Amino acid sequence: MTAAALVPLGLVAGCGEKPVTVYKAGKYQGKADSQPWDNERFKGDRNAWEKAIKDRSVAQNEYARVAHSK
Amino acid sequence: MARMKFISDAERCIECNGCVTACKNEHEIPWGVNRRRVVTIDDGIPGERSISVACMHCSDAPCIAVCPVDTIYKTTEGIVLHDKDLCIGCGYCFYACPFGAPQFPQDGAFGLRGKMDKCTFCAGGPEADGSEAEFKKYGRNRISEGKLPACAEMCSTKALLGGDGDVIADIYRNRVVFRGKGSEVWGWGTAYGKPEKQQPQQQPAAQGAKS
Amino acid sequence: MLLTKKASSQAGTRGRLSRQVAGYLGNTLDRRAFLKRSGLAVGAGAFATQLPFAMIDKAEAAKQGGGETRVARTVCTHCSVGCSIDAHVQNGVWVRQEPVFDSPLNLGAHCAKGAAAREHGMTDHSARLKYPMKLEGGKWKKLSWDQAMKEVTDKMLAIRKDSGPDAVYWIGSSKHSNEQAYLMRKFVSFWGTNNCDHQARICHSTTVAGVANTWGYGAMTNSYNDMQNSKAILFLGSNACEAHPVSMLHTLHAKENGAKIIVCDPRFTRTAAKADYFVRIRSGGDVAFIFGLLHHIFKNGWEDKEYIRQRVYGMDKVKEEVMAKWTPDKVQDVTGVPEEQVYTVAKMISENRPSTIVWAMGQTQHSNGNAVVRASCILELALGNVGKSGGGTNIYRGHDNVQGATDVGPNPDSLPGYYGIVEGSWKYWCRVWGVDFEWVKKQFASPAMMTKPGITVSRWIDGVLEKNENIDQDSNLRAVVYWGHAPNSQTRGKEMVEAMKKLDLLVVIDPYPSATAAMAAMVRQDGVYLLPACTQYETSGSVTASGRSLQWRERAIEPLFESKPDHTLMLAFAKKFGFDKELAKNYKIVKDKDGWDEPEPESILREINRGVWTIGYTGQSPERLKLHMKNQHTFDVKTLRAKGGPCDGDYYGLPWPCYGTPEMKHPGTPHLYDTSKHVMDGGGNFRANFGVEKDGVNLLAEDGSASKGADLQFGYPEFDHLLLKKLGWWDDLTEAEKKEAEGKNWKTDLSGGIIRVTMKNHGCHPFGNAKARAVVWNFPDPIPQHREPLYSPRPDLVDKYPTHDDKKAFWRLPTLYKTIQQANKDISKEYPLIMTSGRLVEYEGGGEEQRSNPWLAELQQDMFVEINPKDANDRGVKAGDYVWVETPTKARLKVKAQVTERVGAGTVFLPFHFSGWWMGKDMLEYYPPGSAPIVRGEAVNTATTYGYDSVTMMQETKTTLCKIAKA
Ligand code: SF4
Ligand code: SF4
Ligand code: SF4
Repeated sequence: MTAAALVPLGLVAGCGEKPVTVYKAGKYQGKADSQPWDNERFKGDRNAWEKAIKDRSVAQNEYARVAHSK
Repeated sequence: MARMKFISDAERCIECNGCVTACKNEHEIPWGVNRRRVVTIDDGIPGERSISVACMHCSDAPCIAVCPVDTIYKTTEGIVLHDKDLCIGCGYCFYACPFGAPQFPQDGAFGLRGKMDKCTFCAGGPEADGSEAEFKKYGRNRISEGKLPACAEMCSTKALLGGDGDVIADIYRNRVVFRGKGSEVWGWGTAYGKPEKQQPQQQPAAQGAKS
Repeated sequence: MLLTKKASSQAGTRGRLSRQVAGYLGNTLDRRAFLKRSGLAVGAGAFATQLPFAMIDKAEAAKQGGGETRVARTVCTHCSVGCSIDAHVQNGVWVRQEPVFDSPLNLGAHCAKGAAAREHGMTDHSARLKYPMKLEGGKWKKLSWDQAMKEVTDKMLAIRKDSGPDAVYWIGSSKHSNEQAYLMRKFVSFWGTNNCDHQARICHSTTVAGVANTWGYGAMTNSYNDMQNSKAILFLGSNACEAHPVSMLHTLHAKENGAKIIVCDPRFTRTAAKADYFVRIRSGGDVAFIFGLLHHIFKNGWEDKEYIRQRVYGMDKVKEEVMAKWTPDKVQDVTGVPEEQVYTVAKMISENRPSTIVWAMGQTQHSNGNAVVRASCILELALGNVGKSGGGTNIYRGHDNVQGATDVGPNPDSLPGYYGIVEGSWKYWCRVWGVDFEWVKKQFASPAMMTKPGITVSRWIDGVLEKNENIDQDSNLRAVVYWGHAPNSQTRGKEMVEAMKKLDLLVVIDPYPSATAAMAAMVRQDGVYLLPACTQYETSGSVTASGRSLQWRERAIEPLFESKPDHTLMLAFAKKFGFDKELAKNYKIVKDKDGWDEPEPESILREINRGVWTIGYTGQSPERLKLHMKNQHTFDVKTLRAKGGPCDGDYYGLPWPCYGTPEMKHPGTPHLYDTSKHVMDGGGNFRANFGVEKDGVNLLAEDGSASKGADLQFGYPEFDHLLLKKLGWWDDLTEAEKKEAEGKNWKTDLSGGIIRVTMKNHGCHPFGNAKARAVVWNFPDPIPQHREPLYSPRPDLVDKYPTHDDKKAFWRLPTLYKTIQQANKDISKEYPLIMTSGRLVEYEGGGEEQRSNPWLAELQQDMFVEINPKDANDRGVKAGDYVWVETPTKARLKVKAQVTERVGAGTVFLPFHFSGWWMGKDMLEYYPPGSAPIVRGEAVNTATTYGYDSVTMMQETKTTLCKIAKA
């Protein structure tokens, strides 16, 4: 996945190797995550992703499909 | 920028459990584990109301604060996720959570408490988006597909809304104007009441990547 | 450690969460929480937590193949709302399910069942029947298809030879597609009997008969979407929140926009929880309650007098009866509802028009069901609501295709399209089928049996058990085929096992035949065969939603395991019986992967299109339906009409009647009998089906009342060749049409010319323009009567409102009314509680399919009885206790007590979706290995009592009596 490439090297161990956990109080200690638009589908285009999400939000609003007078 | 939230509209929820099975279906959640549940009060008498409850992805998530191994994080969109590889199954997050979201499926045949599982806002976890590893540990990642939570998208009456907090708040507000009641949103005070501080720096991905 | 909160108790999520929710909303717990917290959720204990992530391996297999994802658009099979589903399929595996926001019916929404549709027996631990089986020496044994088909058909042919074709009883299915249901009726006809039926009998048969006899067609007049246009919605006998959940999307939207929601029910249902006004009525008091409403409406002059004058026959007689007989005191005596509440409801539905009434099995499943539904029709006629957007009688059908199977499927008294079974109808259909009428006639035992309505599914057990001299056919039933029907949905289960025991042969064709299998195995050693049919997700075809819209299902996946589509099996049976050529004459045949012949669903639908003129199943060609499925987003949600795009002007799913040929481009009919629209725009009026006058009173519509733009602005009879000639319209027909239409009427003219000319050229309705009938003189009670249930808690009311006299030969069987009622007049001394039954949202029908689905089964693990705290305390019963529910049949059900005020004192409620326990005993050992559903429990119908509607043989399930004791 392309996403992995975007994560700083310091946080990722080599393939098959378990990352060593260094405990630091109050700070996330797990693996890094990528941004939801950093993948094949959105190719890093955050705006495209935001638009897709917005459309899906609006799809939950049946008022958008029903003509209203009020 | 999208800040993901849920709204559960008690005036609309009919306790049909569509949201519950939508979640089971999308993530193939085993028997006994419920990332989402429907709670009804005053069952069978006037005033009966139902609420669909899962992780609310709080602004100031108490689970993050109590986790002894710091395995819970928050994404740029305000989604609270965790790394199961670090989770020790201690259950502190469960006691801290005001919504009872964390679940502890039994692990294997010995009845040991397994790693914590909870609603991911359908955003998977810290494995490559859409990868098999991510699916096995956290379920599907709809967010990275530009989709929203399965539970909200399939809710039978659109009682459960999930998505960008501003957009769904508008949807809800519009409804309230039409019906003239139910302006308070259940759970929002607890989940999103405090100002949204320290959100970005908890996102573990590279800040400098792309944005 | 960063521990900020101390673990103080193990009480768990639920407690804390509930408290918090309660803080905002109130204080008591829901029924699931209650059952779980009281440690009751043990139904599937061993299963819990051990179940692996169910389908991961299959999904992975799919991924590894790396195949492209294909998206198939199908329709939920769990109820008549008709929610669209997108199935994502990879390498033949259904890997994901996505909401279809485009569908104007559900806008992506699903209830628990629809959202769990993907898990329908895909996994290896599934309870699906995987291959043919037979019961041999009390054990279930696997068979090959060849062997199974040979044994089954040999036995059937032997029975036919000995006892005639009527000795076999065919129970078809409302879960079949239109094509399969239609083919089933044709198949049974070629076998030579009218002994066939399906779920509609025990679901809405009283509606279909009662409503059709009032004004023309036996169907929901408007649609779920049209709720959005109502100003007041009266639910009487419907718990839509559980039975038709996604319809509530439209209903609650309407409520938000000012519609008043009223619920009248013996229970405070979840629908009641969403209502503006709730009235608790005594189960079985429906006619009295509706006439109580009419009393106030007439008294206050709220009826629509002009509408009644123009469009209704007999309202004066009803008014007389209502004013004399149904004064508020009498209404209260029968229903338990005080005058003020009845008045309030009457006022709400009168002041907020258009208003509509919604009903389901709460009205239909009574021994006077036909009267109840007609009373509802009269109410809506009095208010002038019928034939208007936002009004009408909104009859919520149950199964996904019960409307379609009623319209074109295996009914014992009609051929597809309600053509009747008189000789003329048979000849008509033989013409459509392209077979010789004399040949079909010879298939029957005699010409008389060809025109005699068959036994109903509600009574097949009596067809087996009744003394031979009492039944109206030669032989008793010796073989029964359950082809997509649950056994636990029919009443008198105790007698059903006796009937099963007595049969020579029981054949079950189903994806989940296990309830029938287990019941049979409990009382037999052999003679039972199970044949695996696939589900509708594994084949294609059309399905008719409650609002009469047809939708096309694409095949999502290939039939699982060794299962086959029902229509393929029908053809396979026909081959063995020697009439496959006749059956499939007009169909394209496709070979499946195992070399079986499948009649192509499209070509079956085309045959339906060519024949079913009566109710307009002619315009919905497969091409038009598929175009609608592809362009769902172009349809308006409130009107269901397409704006622009390739379906411009059509109503979604071409709701029947969609008259004429597909080429005529009728848009479908969104609201029946709507005179405000042109007939080519989906308008209409009441049907002229009952003559032109009755006792000197005009039955046709009065002058000025006709559909918009009709050339005839007055009442007129139905069209035939003579009327066309008289009006001088005959020459509008083409020469070819003339040739076919000569001597025919609009229903039998295969050219469709009479319809085309009448509608397109002259704006008239082919079925005429008449009045609706408030008095249905051909029914036992022309004006609907309240009649006490056969098992009544009120001996005094039995005297005042007795039931019918017994009938000798009614649908081939003697049927008891008075005898039973009198014998049990005082039975309420021993059995004091009214017992009623109904729906749970997670399950449907007999529930076998859903109880086998872990995502659904987990949510409802125990069969229960709802009992009021007073009745519980009187019996020393506490929440969660096991109790025995015993009815006058002496059948006893062991179920958990749910103590709740949802039911009033004196009434108890049991859900009807359970099976797998028999009077306290788990039937696990009788199931074919591995096929038992995850959740099992007592079937309420093991204990239900005798009682049938006097027109349709609908069974009484809603009102009987029981007693309860702690187990
Ligand atoms: S957001 Fe996704 S993971 Fe969370 S409850 Fe809904 S379906 Fe389940
Ligand atoms: S799907 Fe919607 S209506 Fe149904 S229980 Fe969930 S939130 Fe409530
Ligand atoms: S059962 Fe009915 S309401 Fe539920 S998803 Fe299926 S069609 Fe829709």
